[in-house]
Amino acid sequence: MTSYFIRRFLLIVPTFIGVTILVFAVTRLVPGGPIERMLQEAAMAGSDVAASTSGFAGHGASSLSDAQIDQLKAYYGFDKPVIVGYAEWLGKVVRLDLGTSTRYSEPVWDTIKDRFPISIFYGITTLILTYSVCIPLGIVKAIRHKTTFDNLTSAVVFFGYAIPGYVVAIALLTVFAGNLGWFPLSGFVSDDFDDLGTLGKAADVAYHAVLPLIAYLAGSFAVTTMLMKNSLMDNLAAEYVRTAIAKGMAFRRAVFAHAFRNSLVPIATSFGNNITLIVTGSFLIEQIFNIDGFGLLGWESLVERDYPVVMGILVISSILFMVGNILSDICVAFVDPRVKFGSGESSQ
Amino acid sequence: MGECAGNPHPAAVAAGEPEHGGQQGAPAARLLSVENLSTAFDTEDGPVTVVDQVSFEIDAGETLGLVGESGCGKSVTALSIMGLLPRPAGSIVGGRILFRGEDLGAAEALRLQQVRGNRIAMIFQEPMTALNPVQRIGRQLAEAYTLHAPGTGRNEAKGRALELLDQVGIPAAERRLTEYPHQLSGGMRQRVMIAMALASRPDLLIADEPTTALDVTIQAQILELLRDLQRETGMAILFITHDLGVIAELCSRVVVMYAGRIAEQASAPALFANPRHPYTRGLLRSVPRLEDDPKTVLSTIPGTVPDIHELPTGCRFANRCPHAEGVCRNRAPGLEDTPVPEGQTSTHRVACHRWRAVEAV
Repeated sequence: MTSYFIRRFLLIVPTFIGVTILVFAVTRLVPGGPIERMLQEAAMAGSDVAASTSGFAGHGASSLSDAQIDQLKAYYGFDKPVIVGYAEWLGKVVRLDLGTSTRYSEPVWDTIKDRFPISIFYGITTLILTYSVCIPLGIVKAIRHKTTFDNLTSAVVFFGYAIPGYVVAIALLTVFAGNLGWFPLSGFVSDDFDDLGTLGKAADVAYHAVLPLIAYLAGSFAVTTMLMKNSLMDNLAAEYVRTAIAKGMAFRRAVFAHAFRNSLVPIATSFGNNITLIVTGSFLIEQIFNIDGFGLLGWESLVERDYPVVMGILVISSILFMVGNILSDICVAFVDPRVKFGSGESSQ
Repeated sequence: MGECAGNPHPAAVAAGEPEHGGQQGAPAARLLSVENLSTAFDTEDGPVTVVDQVSFEIDAGETLGLVGESGCGKSVTALSIMGLLPRPAGSIVGGRILFRGEDLGAAEALRLQQVRGNRIAMIFQEPMTALNPVQRIGRQLAEAYTLHAPGTGRNEAKGRALELLDQVGIPAAERRLTEYPHQLSGGMRQRVMIAMALASRPDLLIADEPTTALDVTIQAQILELLRDLQRETGMAILFITHDLGVIAELCSRVVVMYAGRIAEQASAPALFANPRHPYTRGLLRSVPRLEDDPKTVLSTIPGTVPDIHELPTGCRFANRCPHAEGVCRNRAPGLEDTPVPEGQTSTHRVACHRWRAVEAV
């Protein structure tokens, strides 16, 4: 099993190269790179805006000579062939240097790093809330299959699932922030956040998080709840549960002592991938609530042709995704003793 | 059908007062008596009576065979006794299940938990799926014991688990305790199931086709094991099977079921020597015999079992019976006593209007 996981970890390297080379090539092939973008922005908005967007396009953007543009391209490495450019980029990544943002003119890592607290906060909160609601709810629904409670909760979770998160977000914002004024309109914290005490800070974050969290969570209950319910029902009907009852065990106890762990297997297969939620987040919801998270950063850097940031996010998310897959395998092996990786067989 | 206690069966007379239980000095005390048991299932096409007015008795220490083809209600009978019918679809709709005089059909859930696995244990057809795949054998075994002996220490429970594995003939028991079910063969798993069933030294073991899923040599080993264990512990066994060979090997008395009803009930020797129900005769004829010429075409019972949703009003075997006549199609036959040879104590009952004519053939 250990050798299997070592092999899986080694496989990250070629997969990583494959993913990044593809995206790197795409950034070179699509028309309109960061320099064109800068020039265009400068031309449209005048030198003031251009100056604040980029220090290099700042001095007379519209009147840049071809030689100057070539100089810029050389500065950003756009003059070299894709492979050479990629090799240079990869060489830097290996030395943990993700390059410089063309938009912010600061290291990509700093740009990304700033978004971590916000995304991790929302990621972990939704993760905890999702599992702590879905697993108990799934269990109760399985035990009370086809009762009013079961039907009603199914209707609710599927209703949430059917409505896109950004629609929920807009609706919540309009009603509870706009009309009723119960919650703030946007942002992660208040302007006077730094002046607050520890408790006040926590309360402030929570206060700002209520509406976005509801928008994030509305659609996230259905899948895990129904997975838990159906998986537990399958196991409750299994013969080993009947064996446990035949031994003299009460049904309710058999649910937890026997059926529960077996029914966690399908849940465990996706658990490790939750690590990626650190760098995911719906850019639409972030946009609506003006939360500076990863979703928004990724989307903005794509629109702004800030390719170093795009590649930087890709590096982090692809590595997390691959590690997450391995974590999922570890989770499954942990829950199910029948799973034996490496020997190529899992006896049934 | 229900007045079985009134027949000239000495054991039955002795156990007429159920309070006496197994403590009476009678040669064989009545352990379980199923009286007019009817069990129904709710289906999409309405309720269906799967077990219809079934009565039989099991005395302490004896082995009763319950035989019939798939779907005849023999497993449902066993599940009814154990209170393990799938809920809410299945339920007992009539009759009583008296275990040492106590009606299990009317018992509270808590009382049933005390009886299950403790006084009545059960083993199932599929040892592959009857054990929890994610729990070690040792834990599942110890659980069977501690459920009925709360407060048992970890070491004592483990010691008992080891003892049980030894008892069912599993080598390297110590190592097996730490293994998972998938690491054991089918025969070993069935032995583990038997060990679990023995944990609290039950009075009655219900074995629901325990050898059907195993290959023939393992089957023989398991049957031998059951016979040995019965001799050691004195437990009674209700052995459910469709295999007449197994019945002949293991059982002292036999109940033959057909389409939810009892067709015939007799001691094993009497049933094999002198089958009186046309269905039993058909069954016995369709068993291949070594002394037959090779490639002899096996005799079969023509036709198929009637649809459970459209059971005939008369005898349920009438549509396949070579002896059926008008009365068979109009009126269901009751179970009646037939004469037994001099010196035999066991009754021989058959549910057939025409058993005399059948016997004359």
